[in-house]
Amino acid sequence: MILGIPITGETVAFFLLSLLIISSGVMVMSLTKVMHTALALGGVFLGVAGIFILLGADFVGVVQILIYAGAITILMVFALMLTQKGDDTGYPGPGKRSFFTLLGVAAFCALLLFVIRGTSWPVATTKVDPFPQPSIVMIAQSLFHTYTVPFELVTLILTAALVGAVVIARKEE
Amino acid sequence: MLNWQSSPLTGIGFLGMVIGGVLILGLILGIVTYLIYFERKIIGWMQLRIGPNRVGPFGLMQSIADVLKLLIKEDIVPENADRSLFLLAPIIAFVPSFMVLALIPFTATHVFTSNTQVGLLLYLALSSITILGIVLGGWASNNKYSLLGGMRSAAQMVSYEIPLGMSVIGVVLLTGSLNLNTIVVAQSRHIWYIIPQIVGFIIFMIAGLAELNRTPFDLPEAESELVAGYFTEYSGFRFAFFMLTEYVYVFALCALATTLFLGGWSGPFLPSWIWFAIKTSACIFFIFWVRATMPRIRGDQLMGFAWKVLIPVALANLIVTAGVALL
Repeated sequence: MILGIPITGETVAFFLLSLLIISSGVMVMSLTKVMHTALALGGVFLGVAGIFILLGADFVGVVQILIYAGAITILMVFALMLTQKGDDTGYPGPGKRSFFTLLGVAAFCALLLFVIRGTSWPVATTKVDPFPQPSIVMIAQSLFHTYTVPFELVTLILTAALVGAVVIARKEE
Repeated sequence: MLNWQSSPLTGIGFLGMVIGGVLILGLILGIVTYLIYFERKIIGWMQLRIGPNRVGPFGLMQSIADVLKLLIKEDIVPENADRSLFLLAPIIAFVPSFMVLALIPFTATHVFTSNTQVGLLLYLALSSITILGIVLGGWASNNKYSLLGGMRSAAQMVSYEIPLGMSVIGVVLLTGSLNLNTIVVAQSRHIWYIIPQIVGFIIFMIAGLAELNRTPFDLPEAESELVAGYFTEYSGFRFAFFMLTEYVYVFALCALATTLFLGGWSGPFLPSWIWFAIKTSACIFFIFWVRATMPRIRGDQLMGFAWKVLIPVALANLIVTAGVALL
C-alpha cells in the first residue's frame, strides 16, 4: 500500500502506461521536428491501447493499435516523407509567457484535484461482473443484432465520404 | 508457475513470464541463425551450387560467424542522418516481431502462449507497427535509396495487409473465435482448415510473402536497383536487427499459417511440438523455394495484383464461406 493504493500488477501497469502516455504527450508538444512529433503521437496511441486492455476492453485496445498506432501514424509519416525537409530549429521558445502558463496549469490542476477528492464516488455494494460474456461477443451482438440499421447507415455514410474524397482528390489533376 | 494464463498476476507468475520470454528469445535466435543457413543451402542446391561449406562441418557455423562479424563491426551513423530516429528505428521494427510470438500456440500444453480472445487480431495489429520502424529507418538515413525503399515498403505492406486480413476471416467464421488456441482445438476435432479454406490459404501465403518483403515482392529492398532499400545506410548490429526482424517474421508468419490452416500442433503419434515444427518447416521451405524460382515483379503489377485480384477473390471466398457457415 502506497498512498492508499494497493500495489498489484494492475496498478503497476496502470502507472507505467500513464507514464508512457504523459511523457509521449509532452514530447508531442516539445519536440521541434515534425517526424519526431508523429512518432511520439504513436507512443500516446500505444499507451491508450494499453489502458483499454487494462480496463477489460481488449477488442477496443487491439483495434486502437491496429488503426491508430499502426495505420494513422504510418499515414502521417508517409505524408511527412513527401514534404520538404525544412529547417525547423529556429523556434524561439515561449519566453516570458511560460511563468504565467505554469501558474494557470498549476491552478487548474489544484482545482481538478480538489473536485475529484471532494466528490463522493459511488462504491459497488455487490460484486457485478462487468463482462458476463467475452467483450468481443457482446460487441458483435450489439452491432449486428440490436443496432443493425444504424450500423449499416454509418457504413453507407463512410463509403460516401470515401468516394467523395477520391472525387475531390482527382479534380486537382 | 506455469498457469499464469488463467490466474491473477503474482510474483511467481511474473517470474514465469520473464523466464518464458528469455527462453523464447534464445529459441528464436537459434531458429533464425539456422533459417539463414538453410536458406543459403537450399537456394545453393536449387542453383546447382554447394552453398556455405567452409565454417564448421557442412558449414553449420557459417551463420554464427556472420552474426559475430556483424556484432563486432563499427556502428556507423551517417553525418546528415536524423540521429535519434536512425538509432531508434531498428528497435521499433524488431520489438513487435518478437511480441507476436507470444500469441503462437507452439505446443498442446500452451506453455508461454497467451490465451487472449483477440489473438489473431493482435498479431495483425502488432505486425503493422513494424512498418513504422522500416519507414522511419528509411527516412532517417537521409539517403534517396533508403527513402524510396521505405516508401515502397509502406505502400506495399499497407495494401497487402487488407487481403491478408480478409483471407483469415474465413477461418474465424468457421471457428467462431479469434483465439488462436481455440482455432487449433477446433481443427484437431474436425478437419484442417486448409481443405475448406484452400482459397484463403493461397491468398494468405501470397499476401504473407508480400508482407515479409520477400521475393517475388522484394521491391522495398531490391538489391539490384535500390542497393538494399531502407537499410542501405545501416551497419553492424543495427543492420543485424533489421535482418533479425525479417527472419523472425518469416518464422512467425509460417507459424501463423500452421496455426490457422494446417491444424497447428495437432497430429497423431508424435508429440505436439514436433508436429508444429514439421508443419512450420514445410511452410518455411515453400518460402525459400519461391525465392529461388520466381523473378521480382514490377511496382505497377504489385499494386494491381493486390487490388484487382487478391481483394476481390478474398471477398468472394469470404461470402461463400459465410453462406456455407450459415447453412
